[in-house]
Amino acid sequence: MDQQSLENLNQMLDHESDLRERIREQVNEFDKKTRTISGILSKIHSTPSVAIPSLIETIQAPLHSCGEITAALASLIPPNQFWRWKDMWCNSLRSAIFAAALSLYLTKGTLISLQGTSEILGIQDEWKDRVAISAEDYLHGLITMVNELSRLAVNAVILGDFEQPLRISAFVKGLFVGFSMLNLKNDTLRRRFDSLKYDMKKIEEVVYDISLRNLQTKH
Amino acid sequence: MEVLEQGVRTLVVKAKSHAPVMSSSSSIHDTFQHFREELDEHHDRRERLIKASRDITNISKKTIFLLHRLALEANDSSALINASKIGLDKLVQVQEMYASLKNELVGDQFWRYQRQISPGLQEYIEALSFAHFLNDGSLITYEQVQATLCGVEGEAYFPLSISDYLLGISDLTGELMRFAISGFGSPGGRAKALEICTFVRGCKADFERFTPYIWELQKKQNVTAQSLAKIEDVAYTAVIRTSEFDLPLEMLDDIVNQVVSNYHSTRDDDGDRQFGAYS
Repeated sequence: MDQQSLENLNQMLDHESDLRERIREQVNEFDKKTRTISGILSKIHSTPSVAIPSLIETIQAPLHSCGEITAALASLIPPNQFWRWKDMWCNSLRSAIFAAALSLYLTKGTLISLQGTSEILGIQDEWKDRVAISAEDYLHGLITMVNELSRLAVNAVILGDFEQPLRISAFVKGLFVGFSMLNLKNDTLRRRFDSLKYDMKKIEEVVYDISLRNLQTKH
Repeated sequence: MEVLEQGVRTLVVKAKSHAPVMSSSSSIHDTFQHFREELDEHHDRRERLIKASRDITNISKKTIFLLHRLALEANDSSALINASKIGLDKLVQVQEMYASLKNELVGDQFWRYQRQISPGLQEYIEALSFAHFLNDGSLITYEQVQATLCGVEGEAYFPLSISDYLLGISDLTGELMRFAISGFGSPGGRAKALEICTFVRGCKADFERFTPYIWELQKKQNVTAQSLAKIEDVAYTAVIRTSEFDLPLEMLDDIVNQVVSNYHSTRDDDGDRQFGAYS
């Protein structure tokens, strides 16, 4: 190889590793934010239903501040290279999607859309070749939410809330029907989808216990 | 029984009272319908690219074998240049396949499927670099490889990644080792072995600085080191044997050739006798 070619290649590789470092910095920040949010969200299991909206309120600011990270990433990633780098931040992103989805469900009782999630995280449509929420990441976030809701069904009962499990049951069933429509390959999404049935079973057992004892009316 | 019936009734009532949540089921259906289409398209495209990559690997491997056969028969540099040309012609097939794949790899899609494309691409670069080497004894550059993956107007089918380039040409050293050793006995083989030895040593030295960036390259460097050791053994033999006779390499080849052809002509006569002796 002549000297010039060597230099060129070296320069390009240097540039790439530099970029990787800078992305990593942002991902670290992203990770810190999502960990804080998850920490707060874990309190739903010990919070009475009436206090949940105000608990959810406290994560809105940190959740929306993820927009700073997504904007920084969008300015770092070269055009068309979304898929090249996305694995670096997908864990943090999935946590953020999970937090956004759970917040909306616990306050409004509805399923967050991919578009709605993008808006909360400040991700703009015109970044789609650099920073976006892929279908996989969104679906992963939803599965994490179901995992969490199956625990919540149990813990709500501990706190004396017998309505919550019934609401969760109806919601998760609808979601499960949706997931069943997908033709999944043997990948992580498939494995996580397979785990959903255990969450369903757990929720159904709680519903069963409550209904047979007629507890839902004694609230 | 009555208790159970009552339970069922309240359950039904409850389910109805949670109608607001369930009313979103049609929107869930639409949403997931959309995801199903998106995921199906992704999986199908992925499969297509894996298949194409396998076909490309196949053609490239065949081209490498073809180049070995032609290079072994070649006894001067013009024959090698001709071999190179035949190999390059065969690789046009691969270039046409990449041209037909370019629509699958438009924009951000290339990086989505890079891992599926890499194996075939690296094999292609290996074959291409071998043909290139046989032509003028040089290493194909990154720009030259990218130029073979461009349309008539110079637009790239997809961006060539540096790691695919380096990993592809790194495999060239293995082919050159085979070429040096199997061609060692043929005319000009000794001189060629010495030339290849220097070339591969240069490659190994050049690639070394890239190993911190591309971890697979480290493994390939180990293979290159083994190939280099084999070529060095061959080159050693070439030098030692030549040193005993104060003649140029080509003349030594001629002497050996004469002996070989004489042997063959005498052997034809006593072939029967030998056969009889063993039976």
